[in-house]
Amino acid sequence: MNPQSFFSNPILRRELIGRLRSPKALIAIAIVAIVSCTLVLMRWPREATIDLVSQGSIQVFRPVAYAIAIAIMMLTPAFPATAIVSERKKGTLVLMLNSPTPPWVIYVGKLLANVLLGVLLFSVSLPAIFACYAMGGISIVNHIIPLLLVFLGMAFQYSALGLWVSSRSQSIDAALRWTYSILLFLVVLSIGPSVLVGKLSGIGAWISQALTTLSPIPALQQITGSQGQAKSIGIGTGWVEYLIMSALTTVGLAMATLYKLHPTMMDRARDAGKVIEAKQSSWFRRLAYLVDPNRRKAGIPFWLNPIMVKEFRTRKFGRLHWLLRLVAAGAIVSILLTVVAATGTVNWGVDRIASSMVLMQIGFLLLLGPSLGANLIASEVESGGWQLMRASPIPAWRILTGKLMSTFLTLLLLLLATLPGYVMMSYIQPAIGGQVSNVVVSLLIATAMVTILSACVSAYSKTSAAATAASYAVLLILFAGTLLIWLGRGNPFGPVFVERALLLNPAATALAEMKAPGFETFQLIPNGWYVGLAICTAGLIVLVLRIAKLTRPD
Amino acid sequence: MSETVVETQNLTKRYGDFTALDDLSIHVDRGQILGFIGPNGAGKTTTIKILVGLSRPTGGSARIAGVDCSQNASKIKQLVGYMPDKFGSYDNMRVHEYLDFFGAIFGIPGKQRKARIQEVMETTNTTYMQDRYVESLSHGMQQRVGIARTLLHDPEVLILDEPANGLDPKARIEMRQLLLQLAAQGKTLIVTSHILPELSRICNVVAIVTAGKLRAFGSVDDVMSKLCPQRNFEIQVASAEHMPSAEKLLRDVLLDTEPLISSPAELMLRFPTVRSEVELAEFLQKLVAAKLPVTQFRELTSDLEDAFLSVAGKE
Repeated sequence: MNPQSFFSNPILRRELIGRLRSPKALIAIAIVAIVSCTLVLMRWPREATIDLVSQGSIQVFRPVAYAIAIAIMMLTPAFPATAIVSERKKGTLVLMLNSPTPPWVIYVGKLLANVLLGVLLFSVSLPAIFACYAMGGISIVNHIIPLLLVFLGMAFQYSALGLWVSSRSQSIDAALRWTYSILLFLVVLSIGPSVLVGKLSGIGAWISQALTTLSPIPALQQITGSQGQAKSIGIGTGWVEYLIMSALTTVGLAMATLYKLHPTMMDRARDAGKVIEAKQSSWFRRLAYLVDPNRRKAGIPFWLNPIMVKEFRTRKFGRLHWLLRLVAAGAIVSILLTVVAATGTVNWGVDRIASSMVLMQIGFLLLLGPSLGANLIASEVESGGWQLMRASPIPAWRILTGKLMSTFLTLLLLLLATLPGYVMMSYIQPAIGGQVSNVVVSLLIATAMVTILSACVSAYSKTSAAATAASYAVLLILFAGTLLIWLGRGNPFGPVFVERALLLNPAATALAEMKAPGFETFQLIPNGWYVGLAICTAGLIVLVLRIAKLTRPD
Repeated sequence: MSETVVETQNLTKRYGDFTALDDLSIHVDRGQILGFIGPNGAGKTTTIKILVGLSRPTGGSARIAGVDCSQNASKIKQLVGYMPDKFGSYDNMRVHEYLDFFGAIFGIPGKQRKARIQEVMETTNTTYMQDRYVESLSHGMQQRVGIARTLLHDPEVLILDEPANGLDPKARIEMRQLLLQLAAQGKTLIVTSHILPELSRICNVVAIVTAGKLRAFGSVDDVMSKLCPQRNFEIQVASAEHMPSAEKLLRDVLLDTEPLISSPAELMLRFPTVRSEVELAEFLQKLVAAKLPVTQFRELTSDLEDAFLSVAGKE
């Protein structure tokens, strides 16, 4: 394909030019450039001495590589996740599918436009990467080219993932939510079996190794020379394996999306809304659902906030029957973790079990929280429901408390999932009772923070899709961004700076309290709590002012 | 004696230098239906928002059942049922749950709410769809559920923004019947619509606004006679050969202010006039006396659309 015909794809031109015109894309690119250059500048030699072992350059190359990888993970899937579903909602997809342009041209146009945007994203960090090369100790063949190939593999894999999810989703926010949930599995959870269970043998080893190739983390560890710890727990894959898996998943996802990209994808009957009466419900249905979503609901009782009840009943994601399943799974995992450690099946201490449980909790909070919180106000404004509420006599404070409580209580329910594990842990080792209480307090603060910050983002957003994406970004910056700084502890970041950054993250406070590996030296309680509460209070004030503005007469 | 329920006096709303509403004074009596007509951006929604307490005027006043709309917004919300042009649906919510939720936020106690929901569903003929999800309803069904929602707290005044918009002819007829039924029950209605012939069939009074100013207000007949004082007539002859003679005869008797339009394809001659019935009868006599085979001599009825265009066309 010559360059002229390559760019003559009308979908590619429209998508790429459209996105480059967006101020958000330019801001994201600028942020990546600034962050990567700042990391290099922080470590640039100030003295006229030669770093003979070239540790300085690798120490700056590592956080730069991880920072760009995180940027690709966070930014690349957002556009493709909305690309097909938003066109379907607007009615332009059916026009395209009924045109002489074959579906594969539409798909390739959308995929390549996004990959090119990803390439642009990591291209702006090339000066920072080559500055590391100039510092010495970094090889173009062994470090820079593999790193750029991994970034390219990520851009393809996540773009294909976003488009596949988009082709199967019914709403923009659901597409975003599912894309980031699957991304979380691809990046973090796929290496879970190897990290948690350690070295395996036979088919178990093969499966856990195959799963690790889905994640770019082992590849990045290999390229940046931090694979020692990974190897000790049995992860033996590297960047070549990742690139092969990335290519395979991209092709697989592309085929699945193309199969779906057909005019018949718009054929959907209206939901008849079948009601299951209490007496009709079979025992299997009762067991499977626990709280049956199709069961006839009673009227809203006077002692409950109607806004809260409405939120529980109308949310697409995080409805009660799914939450209870998640809570049950969480409880089983936490008890199992505690039991296998107590019976000596794995050589883990309380710190490692508690850290796993904290990470599981934070994973749940970050998966559900932004999506629930982001839909509180933005989707109400978008659907026209806000106008109706304003025209009703319900006071603003009841709207606010109803909405906040619907998210806070949901997330609290998830926190309860690991309570049996903590109880069992305290039973096995009574001395850690105080630590467990402190961890629970930190997690409560994390829950409040997730609820309030995502509601704040929602109150300032015009659409629920924008609110969902922005909420995930804000909370991931707060929770994952501070852990990125922690990753660069020693170099380029000093211990005081790292500790101050970790104070912003209640998950880090909980991990430090349980003396999780890497957090032993940090004492974050009670200052971490104060910072967390201050963030919650500031967020709440902003939210109250915003709600007051949105509810008062124009 | 009729009782005024909705009243605005010199109502004005300015956004900086832009005047969205300028000195609007109207009144609607109990049980009347006001048709609020105007092009997009005329100030209709601004007026409605002030009346339902969602916006404050920068001048003048608006009162509903004697309550000031800007001073006592919470009381107004109990007096008014408002249906905006956007339905405001929620996911995974059935019609019955939807009405229950709005009943709850209007503070209707549980038992009373249950009875009231049944009542409004019967009034709006939505009982059969109570288990359907609101987002899966057709537009016509949603409009009826929207009216059921506005009726829940038994308001005195219903303000409906474009209730017939996007409805098919059958749904439009049903909507018209429903609005007439509500007015017969003593509700006062303010209805905006772009479908003007539809409005003229149900409205007692109309208000035409353009560029924020009230151009006409009163009963449909009053507004018509004010805005369309001329009547339009058309004459048809039996064959094309008689068209020139008929045209000449008419040109001789018509004035410059009564321009004659000839349509040979239809064998028609049309003209506007303010002449009396007697004078028009003389026209017909002259045509017959000249042995012209007249097959039709009739008045074309003017409607609200003509009245609206006579105002909007001057803008």
